[in-house]
Amino acid sequence: MPPVVRAESLTKRFGNLTAVDDLSFVLQSGTITGFLGPNGAGKTTTLRMLLGLARPTQGNALIFERPYAEIEQPALRIGAVLEATDFHPGRSGRNHLRTLSAAAGIPDSRVDEVLKTVELDGAANRRVKGYSLGMRQRLGLAGALLGDPELLVLDEPANGLDPEGVRWLRDFLRSFAGSGHTVLVSSHVLAEVAQTVDHVLIISRGKLVRESRLDELTAGMGGAVRVRSPEAGKLREALERDGIASTEASGALYAQGTTSERVGEIAAASGIVLHELRVEQSSLEEVFLELTSEKPE
Amino acid sequence: MIPQIRAEIIKVRSTRTTLGLVLGMIAIILLFVILTAWLTSVGEMSGREQQRNLFAIGSFAGLFAALAGIMLVTGEYRFGTIRPTYLFTPKRSLVLVAKVVAALIAGFVFALVGEILSVGVGGVILDERGISVALSHHDYTLITIGTLIGTALWGGIGVGLGMIVRNQVGAIIGILAWGFVIQNLLFNLVPSVGRWTPDQAQNGLMGLTDAHLLDPGVGGATLVFWTVVICAAGAVMAARRDVN
Repeated sequence: MPPVVRAESLTKRFGNLTAVDDLSFVLQSGTITGFLGPNGAGKTTTLRMLLGLARPTQGNALIFERPYAEIEQPALRIGAVLEATDFHPGRSGRNHLRTLSAAAGIPDSRVDEVLKTVELDGAANRRVKGYSLGMRQRLGLAGALLGDPELLVLDEPANGLDPEGVRWLRDFLRSFAGSGHTVLVSSHVLAEVAQTVDHVLIISRGKLVRESRLDELTAGMGGAVRVRSPEAGKLREALERDGIASTEASGALYAQGTTSERVGEIAAASGIVLHELRVEQSSLEEVFLELTSEKPE
Repeated sequence: MIPQIRAEIIKVRSTRTTLGLVLGMIAIILLFVILTAWLTSVGEMSGREQQRNLFAIGSFAGLFAALAGIMLVTGEYRFGTIRPTYLFTPKRSLVLVAKVVAALIAGFVFALVGEILSVGVGGVILDERGISVALSHHDYTLITIGTLIGTALWGGIGVGLGMIVRNQVGAIIGILAWGFVIQNLLFNLVPSVGRWTPDQAQNGLMGLTDAHLLDPGVGGATLVFWTVVICAAGAVMAARRDVN
């Protein structure tokens, strides 16, 4: 199957500044990919090039193997939100969506459907200036969903959301991807998307520094898998036999340089009961910071 | 093409901007019509020249049509809706053409209102003062056509200008400075050049009788020419420039 998104040596220069530097990656169908990096790393510029809003200085930005502008009826295949605030404040949420659905020949009944999906049907006829930031985020998402797309591209969708909103978004993205759809979601905070994404693309200063499955991110990076077991000693020996070092702290084992899959398999092979098995958040964050920190040249 | 035009018409109708412009236009046209029709001496007001000027006040709608066209574009940049607009219709020239068509329609409606006010209210006041109308059928036709077509074209000019300038305040100040100061100065100081401006071309199209104005046909063609050139420049710039 051809990739859904393909960036080939994508480069964008603004004068002397190289915002995106020879970036290449592909996204496969059915994946949720976190596009991560500190603010100013070039995430938004990359998304703008993928979506045909900005022209690459060099390289190609392809979706479904074509430049965005050459896709017939792109809104029926790709949904995207770049800014949470892209509304005329004096227009109602419903009319905002109607300006978009009309352009794509989408019937008004679909407008009401997506309003219900994002739980804005009650506020649909109110002007956007009275919406909270969370409501605006959801209205933007509703616009992206109008065409029932296969690919969703969201730039920093969790910015400004309260914990309940973040959770709503996470559940939504999971169910969206669960039906075989593809998601590319950017963030400057790994923890925000760590529970949602299965792949990560990490960029720093316009360059790709890491592309991997989320659960492999810590492998070989000094990360740890946290595991609790009533048979901790036995598990530790089993891990050691497999060449995996572990340390014990506050009632849990921390296995170094491995994956949660591997630890689980070893435990199962040895018939060891596990009470908890997860990649340690803090070490994910450490890896992220290590990969993206400004290194002196 | 038709879906994009529908989308642009929804944009025009779904904010209070258009209503505000129409109300402002009605107030200004009424003010000028009433002042002109009441305060001009009976002798002067009985002449064709002055009556023509009175009934042409409706063409003031052109300024408001231009503002509507400007806001239809610059509002998208100001509020960021240009991003979803281009995501749904990545062919930017198509967006521009749809906006021009929507602005032409809006301009035409503006002009109808302006024309009814100037001819209707102006006519009533003349009647009240016992002044008989000296204009011929031909005079009326030219004023009406010039107001309707000219005002519609100003809507298109506003869209093209908005695409070129993008900044709302800049574009509005620009068109006001041009309409009230620059083109007037140009026409008064160098009429042989100034008569080719879109403003004076429209005055020519309406059959106004200043000696320096273009003939109605040439005036109309000149106004169409300006609309096409400004919109084409806007289309080229829209295609070339990145959207932030």
